[in-house]
Amino acid sequence: MKCLETEKLISYAYRLTDELAASQVRAHLAECPRCREIVQQHARLDALLDEWKAAEPTPRFDARVRQAVEAQQARRDARSFWGWDGARGLALAALGVLIVAGALWITLSHPWDSSSSRVATRQHHPMHGPQTPPETAKIPSPDGTAYPGVNSAQAVRELNLTGASSNEDKDALALEDYDLAANFDLLSELPKGQARVAN
Amino acid sequence: MAIESDLDLMLRVREGDAASFEILLRRYRLPLVSYFRRMVRDQGLAEDLAQEVFLRVYKSRERYQPEARFTTWLYRIATNLALNAIRDRRDEVSDTAGDDSEGGPVLERFVDPQPTVEQRLMQGDRERLIRQAVEALPENQRAAVILHKYQEVDYRQIAGILSVSESAVKSLLFRAYETLRVRLEPLRREGRI
Repeated sequence: MKCLETEKLISYAYRLTDELAASQVRAHLAECPRCREIVQQHARLDALLDEWKAAEPTPRFDARVRQAVEAQQARRDARSFWGWDGARGLALAALGVLIVAGALWITLSHPWDSSSSRVATRQHHPMHGPQTPPETAKIPSPDGTAYPGVNSAQAVRELNLTGASSNEDKDALALEDYDLAANFDLLSELPKGQARVAN
Repeated sequence: MAIESDLDLMLRVREGDAASFEILLRRYRLPLVSYFRRMVRDQGLAEDLAQEVFLRVYKSRERYQPEARFTTWLYRIATNLALNAIRDRRDEVSDTAGDDSEGGPVLERFVDPQPTVEQRLMQGDRERLIRQAVEALPENQRAAVILHKYQEVDYRQIAGILSVSESAVKSLLFRAYETLRVRLEPLRREGRI
């Protein structure tokens, strides 16, 4: 007699098969001592495995789970108290403060911007004859280097203190005395073409 | 009083009912700790992992959808945690003991160090030999056998837990039970078990 496949025998031993297949295996086992022995060995194994007993949780286990769940719930409650709206509002407020602070910083740290405009206007005015180089960019320091972006009035004061050359000194003083409003009117009255030529 | 189904309890937990969560905790504390104890052996780690399962159930209560049986979901979480823990520990051992792609021998060396005299007296050789034989199985076979034999989970449900086909579960169980028979039967004949 041909023996059954081991898988069929194991399926039968561990009740992994349907009743029809089980009845076929039972019929075979009645006539096949070899297959019967394999099934009996698995039945003994099944009983033997029962001796590996379950482990009880320690007495603190339930309390630990409850604590973990409560902690999780507390974190969640805290998050929902502030909530997404609250967090978004805080973020926007922080952004607003940053923008205002940035604008203030730029304003306070660059007070020379307005005088630079005056210098630029003065350079292109025809009343002053030949164009002069922009003072803010080319006022030399005593050691021969330029003062880039220096306030012209401040530069004049520095030149006086350091005894700079007289031509440059006069030019700087003229710049300080230059009346922007009055000269601006002259500039605006010029015909367009003339203004373009002057430029 | 009728026993409330896991599904009903879980749906009430979803609505924020703490008492229902407490019932689930009492119902599954022993099965989960036992499952982890057999999977990873260490009692402290087993309880940590079981606690993590309950925490994950609680955290995901609002997203819970009763599409599968509650126990399928519960044991899927548990099995993923157990297999990750086994792999993490095996990696630690591999760093010092070399690689072993089969998993069994390295795991056996790690999870079954020489027991102390007290442990031998308490545990008994029979149980130790059974435990060693099961722990020496590859991870998926071990999970399938423990779920089937000790947690009494149906093989169709095991397929859902392990995310494999039913025939794949049967194949895992065939190989696992046959390996255990081959390992333990000679010990029985020798009278050791």
